[in-house]
Formats: sequence, C-alpha cells, structure tokens
Amino acid sequence: MLSGFDIHVLTQLDIARIVSPALGCLFCCLPPHLIFRGISNPYRHAAISTAATAATAATAATATVQSFLPTLPFLSAIQRSRETFNLGSNFFFVPAHTGLAADTIIFTTPPQTRKRKAAEAAIIDNHSATKDSVAYSQAATGPPPRKSARKTKTVDPEVADPNPATDLTSIVSGVFTVSVEKRSPDLATPTLTSMESDEDFMSVASSADDFLDTQMSDDESLGEDFGDDFDGGFSKDKDIIATARKPYEVEFSVLSPGDIDREQNRQINEVSSILSLPPESAAILLRYGRWNREKLIESYMDHPEETLEEAGLGTNFESEAKTEVVPGFMCDICCEDGDGLETYAMRCGHRFCGDCYRHYLAQKIREEGEAARIECPGDSCHMIVDSKSLGLLVTADLKDRYQTLLTRTYVDNKENLKWCPAPNCEYAVDCSVKQRDLRRIVPTVQCNCRHNFCFGCTLNDHQPAPCQLVKMWLKKCEDDSETANWISANTKECPKCHSTIEKNGGCNHMTCRKCKHEFCWMCMGLWNEHGTSWYNCNRYEEKSGSEARTAQAKSRASLERYLHYYNRYANHEQSAKLDKDLYLKTEKKMTSLQSQSGLSWIEVQFLHTASQALQQCRQTLKWTYAFAYYLARNNLTEIFEVNQKDLELAVENLSEMFEKPVAELANLKVDILDKTAYCNKRRVILLSDTAENLKNGEWSFNADW
Amino acid sequence: MSLCVNRLTEERKQWRRDHPFGFYAKPHRTPQGVLDLKRWECGIPGKVQTLWEGGLFKLDVTFPDEYPTKPPKCKFVPPLFHPNVYPSGTVCLSILNEEEAWKPAITIKQILLGIQALLDDPNPESPAQAEAYNLFKKDRPAYERRVRQVVKDNPKL
Repeated sequence: MLSGFDIHVLTQLDIARIVSPALGCLFCCLPPHLIFRGISNPYRHAAISTAATAATAATAATATVQSFLPTLPFLSAIQRSRETFNLGSNFFFVPAHTGLAADTIIFTTPPQTRKRKAAEAAIIDNHSATKDSVAYSQAATGPPPRKSARKTKTVDPEVADPNPATDLTSIVSGVFTVSVEKRSPDLATPTLTSMESDEDFMSVASSADDFLDTQMSDDESLGEDFGDDFDGGFSKDKDIIATARKPYEVEFSVLSPGDIDREQNRQINEVSSILSLPPESAAILLRYGRWNREKLIESYMDHPEETLEEAGLGTNFESEAKTEVVPGFMCDICCEDGDGLETYAMRCGHRFCGDCYRHYLAQKIREEGEAARIECPGDSCHMIVDSKSLGLLVTADLKDRYQTLLTRTYVDNKENLKWCPAPNCEYAVDCSVKQRDLRRIVPTVQCNCRHNFCFGCTLNDHQPAPCQLVKMWLKKCEDDSETANWISANTKECPKCHSTIEKNGGCNHMTCRKCKHEFCWMCMGLWNEHGTSWYNCNRYEEKSGSEARTAQAKSRASLERYLHYYNRYANHEQSAKLDKDLYLKTEKKMTSLQSQSGLSWIEVQFLHTASQALQQCRQTLKWTYAFAYYLARNNLTEIFEVNQKDLELAVENLSEMFEKPVAELANLKVDILDKTAYCNKRRVILLSDTAENLKNGEWSFNADW
Repeated sequence: MSLCVNRLTEERKQWRRDHPFGFYAKPHRTPQGVLDLKRWECGIPGKVQTLWEGGLFKLDVTFPDEYPTKPPKCKFVPPLFHPNVYPSGTVCLSILNEEEAWKPAITIKQILLGIQALLDDPNPESPAQAEAYNLFKKDRPAYERRVRQVVKDNPKL
C-alpha cells in the first residue's frame, strides 16, 4: 500500500475519515477546525493527488512517503475501522495538505503520539460512524469519473443526513473539480468563505493537540471551536456560547506561591543537571539570565567561563560551604580577632567572621529587600551569595524572607507571570499574552482571590477598552486638560492681546483692561464696525469675528463630547459602588427574606447572583464609554452603540428590580433571574463583538495610540 | 563596644601603624577636647604627575551609627571644584553609595585612595556640579586652568 503511494489510493471511507469533521485528518492528525480554517481546505485536503498536480506536489509527495513510513499501526487502524463498517473500498488518495503543509506545521507532540491518538479516536468514534456514514457522489460539475487514480471524488461524510443541503462548490485544482455537500448545521459547515490565511493556522497550530484530546471526550467542544472560527454561523446556538471560550477571554492559569516555588525548582534542577552545576549555582545563573533557559544554556556552552564570571559565580567549584575557625584570623569588617572566631568565606576566598557575614546578609535582606544579587561583602568582589551559604548563616525567618524575595524577582523577571494586584493576595497569574498583542487583545484574568484584572496593565478589568486607550482616558480624566477645556468653553480671548476674559455681566461692548481693545462679545468683531446697533449684534456673518467663533465652537463641542462620555463613565462607576452598598444591605435582605417567606438559603442566592451580574455589567459599561470616546463614527460604532444601549437598558432594569422592598423580592425571583441571565448574555455579546473586531483590527479610532 | 566604634578604633590603630604618603586622617576633637570617633578630618594630596599634584584637599568624613554596614559621608571643606563633587562638597563616588558598590570591608584607607584617584579621573556619567562639569566637557583648557588655581589655593603643608 505504501509502496503504491505514488498512485495515491485509499478507500473512500478513509477519504471521509481523513477530513471527517468530527476527527480531522487522520493522516496528519490535523484537527478539523484547522482544516476548515483554511490551512488546507477540506476539498483540497481530499483532492486526489494526480499527475496534473503532481508536478507541483512531486517533491512534497516524496517527502510525505518518507514521513508516512512509520505510521503502519495507524493505517491498520483505518483498515480495522473499515471492516467494522463493512463498506466497500474503492479509491485511494493522498490528502493534499499533508505534503503542502508539512513544512508549515509545528507539532508540539511527536507525530507518532498524535497518530496513535487519532487512531484511537477512530475506533472510539465507531458509533457515530453509522450516521456519519460515507458514500461518494460524483462531482456534478467535474469531469466524469474514470477508473484510474486520476479521479475526482466527492467527500461527503453525511449522506445519511435526511436533508442534505447540497451546495456545489467547485474548487479547481488543475483539471479537477471537487464538489462537496454541505453538512447539516449541527456541525460546522465548511464553506469557502470561511477560509483564512495560513498565518492564522500558525497561530493556532500549537493548540492542535489539546483539540484532539477534547474532541474525544466532549463532542460539543467541536462545535464551540467552530463557533469561534466561523463567526456568526453558529453563535446563535446558545449552548455553544455558554461553554466556549469567548473571543474576549484569554487563557491563563493562577499560581500559588507553592506552584511558583516548584516551577522555579524544576527549572533550576533541569539546568543544574544539563550543565552539571550545583543547584544553588544554577539558580544564580538562571536569575542572572532572567530565567531565559535556552539563551542561558547557549551562552554557557559558548563561553562558560565568561558567563560564570558575569553571573557572579566564579569558576572554582571546589570548596564546600562550611564555617571554619582559622588561626590568626582578623575580620576586615569588625576587626575582631581571637581564637575560636567562627568565620566564613565563599568560593572567592573573602573571609569574614560569622557575625559580620550574618549582619551583612540581614541588612541586605531585611533593609534593602535584596535577595537575588547579594554580593560578597569583600571590596569590589562580585560573587553572588548563594542559597547554600545563606542557609548556613542566617536564621529561619530571614531564610523565609529571602525565599519570598527570590520568588518575587522570579515573577518580575518572567514576562508571562504577573502578581495579582489585589491587596494581600499572594497569587500570581500565568498568561501568554505579550506586550505587543495588547493593541488587539484585552487580557482580563481572574485571580483565585476573585479579583478581576487586566494582565496587560494590572489595572482593574477594563474590557472592552484596550490598555493604551484606558491609559489615555485615565490621564485625560485626571490631568487639568479639562480645566483648559472649560476655560476655552466658558471664556473668550481678547482678539488683540489674547488675555482670557470671562464676561460676568454688562453689555456686549467689551473693552480689554489690558490693551484697551474694543470689541463685541457676541461676534468678537471690532466694536467700531458696529455703528449704531450697539445693543444688538446683527453682524454675525462678519469676517472679523468668525475665526474666533469657530475656535470657540469647536472647543465647546469637544468639551461637550467628552463630558457626554465622562458623565456616563462616572455614572456607572458610581452606580457600581451604590449597587455594592446595596448588596451589603441585600445580605440582610436575604436573611429577612428567608425568615419572611420561608425560602431556604439556597433559594435566596439569586440576589447574590444578580448583584454580581450588576457589578460586572456596570464595570463593562463604564469602559464602553471610555472606549466609545475614542471611536470614529462609522457603522461598526453604531452597532457597538446599539449593543451598549441594550446592555445598559438591561442593567438599569435589573438594578431597578433589585431595589424593590424585601416583601416584593420573593415574587420577583423569576424576573430577577431572567434579567440577570439576560444582562450577562448582553454583556457577552457586546464584549465578543468588540473583542473580535479588535482582534481583526476593524475598529477605527479618532485618536492615535 | 558597638561594632561601629570598635571598627573605627581599630581603623585608627591601623592608620597610625601605616598609611599612604601625604595623607592624613584623624578623629575630630571637639572644643571640649573630647575625641569624636565618628567624625574624622582627613587630607588627600593630589597625585604626582597629574594636574592635581602639589595640592592637599581637606575632607570631613562622617560615619553613621550603622557603619560599616552603611558607608560614611565624605565632604570636602571648603567645597571642591570637581565634576563629581556636589556644591555642598559631598563626594559622589560609587564605593560611597550604599546602593552601589559600598561593601562593609572597605576601609578609610581605601576610601581616601579612591577619592584621590577620582580627582584626576572624573566620571562624566554622574556629574554633581554644573560649573566643573561644563568646563570639563566643553572647555578643557579652561578647566585645567581652574584646577591649577585650586591647587595653588590648597597647597601642601
């Protein structure tokens, strides 16, 4: 079979299997969401590799044969599944993309494992195979099939579907045309429109393995992924929405101090064994290299001695750490001598008495908060005090402090780690969103302490506004640029000397105190042009004042615009606070509700849920206004505003109900529950829409950032 | 006896036993005649074969209670014309900075020698006074003239 690879034959079942929407390509184990995403389109994927295309694929195909050689167990799995279905075998082919994509895919697990997984999946999936059963129909628009390898076959995994919406899509690959029938909408529809560039594939390639895992256990996850990939098409399905990772969510994990320690130690031990250095030295080396393991090892391999020297380690690893009594010794720090004086020196040989060393370390750790880069107390010696030496000298509480400080520098040095900014929270969050991605993603994470914050800037959750806009907005609200705005909106400048003038009464005939210039307050034109119409300026269109007027009008409009957004922003901030206060009262309400209406504790929890939803939605709403302030007017903005309006309305409704007296609350329970769910849903819709447009760079802004 | 006083006593002993040529360093004596170990009066000669040769510059060294954990404060009296000396006379030098290169094992002798080396080898990266720094950067001949004048004003005894 493999030797006949240049003929490229497989059974039609295999054809279907290879691009099965449930399993992805069984040849290369490319998961379906990637196939359908566009790295290799499903039709092309299933297209028969022929002489016509062979010209281009020849080299790739040869490479493919090589890489397929070790996959015999997998092929037999296909064979087995064919027997199970008892379907006839006809045609064989090579999945077009295997060759094409061979150089673009980066696999994170060995191909062997992936194939085995896929083969297992093929067997597990037997049950669904009946409805997923396979047949082929001829390409309606293509040339008639001939009994040769140069044949076009249609892959249709769902002929059993009672009502297949046939959509003939032709993909011309050389002389071949492939037609594909549309699948029923419970699974993704592979349409040509959804194909994206290969780059897109690259970005998700690493998640391919995870996908294989999830799809076997949970059929729904398949749909979810499609939901993400094909915007709109399936997002109507609320089950999918409910369980999927939404477009505005990012992957992250929360680490406890213990986890961080373990992770540090794991890396230290790894480097220690690779470089065969003692662990405490490996730790210093790693800290020196800011935990960039690969770079560090490379630099060590290239110039071991320089690296060690620069890291503050020295090259001599002979002596062991212990305190000694050296006859005739005098400490350079305290000038004590005397027999029996306990002394210590690191490998650099600078020897001091134990007390001075201890005192020095305590000073560094406790007063200066230093841990990773404590140098030897000797003059101009840069050797770093290692944890073994430290452990020998200091007390247990200092050791703890030292460890805490080390962990702190570890988290600070790692780009993918950030401390939770909540007071007294000791967790860190691990998230792979890079600084440069922040223009397109708003990475909100939730710590185990339930604090929601932005991983990019560690401010409180500010979805949907990106960090940079948030920074601009906060600065705008904070600094006195708005004072200046007020001045320009409420005062006028003398057209001659530009002194700022606020008119507090009197007629329109202004005489500048400073330069004695006479002008009309209404039109800013020269007063002497006004002639006899002294009290009623009818010279509005006159040139002399028009510039002053437009500048004023602009500044006024800009202030009004800002205030519009600011007021709403501030209002939601304030309301969120009030809602929180209200919730504290609600706790009491919940208690009294239990006693009054005989509801159980669990039955009054809906108030808690509602309050949570209110807080969260208000937080989002608040930032939608800051975001909207920077949006340029266009259709997208209008859609955004409609979404914003919907959410706001829902929130206000819920908020109103929430304030009702306790006696009514019990009757409103269903309503409140409904409204809570609705609010949450509107929020998800608003955030998903914004996040997707942000990711795709669709928004246009009225400010540079 | 505290670590600070103990160490200073010992440093004084060592200094009297042996110190570099041309330097002097002695604890300040109050008007009542009491010796204050935490304030020393020192003198730094200009290095031979440099611009500064022939001068002797008076330096007040004040030791904090935390000495030798923390560095002493060194101040030229009167303030010296030098890019790394603040208008107050305080010397800006890495080994005198707790956050930088100060180590408890550094002695008075090393400090004074360090400051002597700094005289002819200013560090343009950390200017401390505008006048000397600007001349040093922009008009070297004028800078050198000023230094010669300073040396003339502070002659060796």
